[in-house]
Amino acid sequence: MGLEIRDIEHAFGDLMALDGVTFDVVPGVITGLLGPNGAGKTTLLRIMLGVLSPDSGSVRYDGRPVGEEDRRRWGYMPQERGLYPGMPAGDQVVHFGRLHGLSRSDATSRARALLEELGLEDRWKDRTDKLSGGMQQRLQLATSLVHDPEVIVLDEPFSGLDPVAVVSLSETLRQRARIGCTVLFSSHQLDLVQDLCEDIAMVDRGRTVLLGSVARLRASSGRRQLRLHVEPSNRDWLSAYPRVTVVSDQADDLRLEVPNGIDPLDVLDAARAGGRVDDFGLDLPTLSQLFLAAADRPLDQMVVS
Amino acid sequence: MRNWWQGTRLVAERGLVENLRSRAFKVMTGLLLLMSIAAVVLPQILGNEATTYTLATVGTAPANVRAALDAAGKSAKFTVKYVSGNAGDDVRLAVRNGDASAGLAGDKLYTDAKGGGTFPVVVAQAVVSLETSRLLVEAGLGPQQIAALRSVRPPQQIAVGRLDSEGRAGTGFAVGIILYLAITFAGTAIATTVAMEKSTRISEVLLAILRPSQVLVGTVVAIGTITLCQLLILATPFAVAVQVTDKIGLPPVAAADITLAVVWFLLGFALYAFLFAASAALVNKITEVNSAILPVTMTLVVGYMLAITVVTSDPSGGWSVLASLFPLSAPMAMPIRWAAGEVPVWQLLLAMALTAATAVLLVSIASSIYRRALLITGHRVKLREVLGGRAAS
Repeated sequence: MGLEIRDIEHAFGDLMALDGVTFDVVPGVITGLLGPNGAGKTTLLRIMLGVLSPDSGSVRYDGRPVGEEDRRRWGYMPQERGLYPGMPAGDQVVHFGRLHGLSRSDATSRARALLEELGLEDRWKDRTDKLSGGMQQRLQLATSLVHDPEVIVLDEPFSGLDPVAVVSLSETLRQRARIGCTVLFSSHQLDLVQDLCEDIAMVDRGRTVLLGSVARLRASSGRRQLRLHVEPSNRDWLSAYPRVTVVSDQADDLRLEVPNGIDPLDVLDAARAGGRVDDFGLDLPTLSQLFLAAADRPLDQMVVS
Repeated sequence: MRNWWQGTRLVAERGLVENLRSRAFKVMTGLLLLMSIAAVVLPQILGNEATTYTLATVGTAPANVRAALDAAGKSAKFTVKYVSGNAGDDVRLAVRNGDASAGLAGDKLYTDAKGGGTFPVVVAQAVVSLETSRLLVEAGLGPQQIAALRSVRPPQQIAVGRLDSEGRAGTGFAVGIILYLAITFAGTAIATTVAMEKSTRISEVLLAILRPSQVLVGTVVAIGTITLCQLLILATPFAVAVQVTDKIGLPPVAAADITLAVVWFLLGFALYAFLFAASAALVNKITEVNSAILPVTMTLVVGYMLAITVVTSDPSGGWSVLASLFPLSAPMAMPIRWAAGEVPVWQLLLAMALTAATAVLLVSIASSIYRRALLITGHRVKLREVLGGRAAS
């Protein structure tokens, strides 16, 4: 069920933009297609939307190859915003609704409801180029959601948004996922979207490097860090855990990396047996740390924020 | 197929509404209408100053001569003024000095150096007719017999020369100019729309929903409709004037010629429109449109030049035949040849078929260029980048 992306390959001349990318997008689960700039995310989304044809591989939806008719029911928001500058905001949304197959009256009532949801209800008659950047961004979202798409694909929807807009866009996407839509978006700002994605497909240089549920990937990464504030500075108890490594040990602050197979709570107990623990915490790796580990890249090559 | 038309219709509808709403369209159409009205009305106003002739006579002109001339003036739309002199010399001098168009003194009719045009003939006829009537009365004929004699007319003269002479050739020429201008204007409008859609990235959203051919055909239909409407607006005052008065100096044109002109506009427009659209898809910034469409504009200019030079001078020569059959020049060359009346029907049909087939072929080539070029941004796309290689789906 949902979207199945299988072995997609695509080359631009000699440059292999996509080299066998495979992953699934499950309905109701917000999925992030993550990776640095130039990883091939936009190319992959364009292939899914039929704007580009892959050299090989397939995109399937509900077990069938995706056709033109399926895509007409999808919603797509490309990376660079595309709106008619001279068109009134409301007409714009109605036009795209009709292109997606709605009747004029359906498109109009849906457009009104959406602009209200996105806080643009009093802008119906305003020319698009008279709206602020943030409003145009929301209008663009409206044009891709007007036909209640069952599949929503967004390319870098968060780039250039202020924190308030990030929260409100996230809420809109969560709400669509809750009612069972298949939601896929791409981003290079891994840590910004860490809390929004439930599943991720991480790509680098055209290949998938990390797949699966964010919570599970972070918990099982083996890069969990246990943070302890212990007195006195007795570290003898650590010798019982030879696989636990000390990341830093300054004054009373101790930071330990706890590999898979060792329960961090056991380590905490051992520390408490050795001395008084004032403060503690378990830090899971961020998505960018996971990416660095998976892509085996030095930090200076990464563009993350 | 139903969906193809539905999507195409929506693209065309949007293009129409946006164009009709734009200030540029309103201003342009208003100007066209004004120009057209002026072209029809001004000659009427200027030409309506009734022609006035002056007849100089010795003493007051005889009442019967006046009556005959005024009657002739009524039917031929001129008025006659009279001046009188004391002697034959006064009359002669009046004509010589240009104070009178003709002078009547005894049995002499004075005219200016060039013979004075038609007025002296009219005066002479009036004098002859009056004198003849007087003699007939003296000979004892009754008024009925005289009226019967005077109703004798020379045989009616009807021109039967072929219309292919100057008037019709002029029409072909005018059609060529109008087609050339209309295609240039409409082509630029199409190129601007495509470049705008590419530079604002709307095209990417459109391509996710529609096929390139739908976007292209929709855009071309919208702008073609608008241009055709503007042409009709341009033609309306002429049509009205022809209905209201027959005094318009239009050359005698068969309705078939006008119909052909419209057909050629549609064919020529379809052909060039897709060339304009495909070239505009290559731009990176909207300001590059003019240089991107230059090759198309040049082709159009060359076709037009061929039409007005080669074809006009020798409509049945080998080069003319070639120019009127070759799809890129046919829309301008064929109407001129056709107007000259030297085209076998099969050549006309062949030219139309070739042009239409090329237009259809261009839709698919342009769609393929369009789809690939739209995704290449950041630099001017070279034709080499979008031709060859994998076929567009």
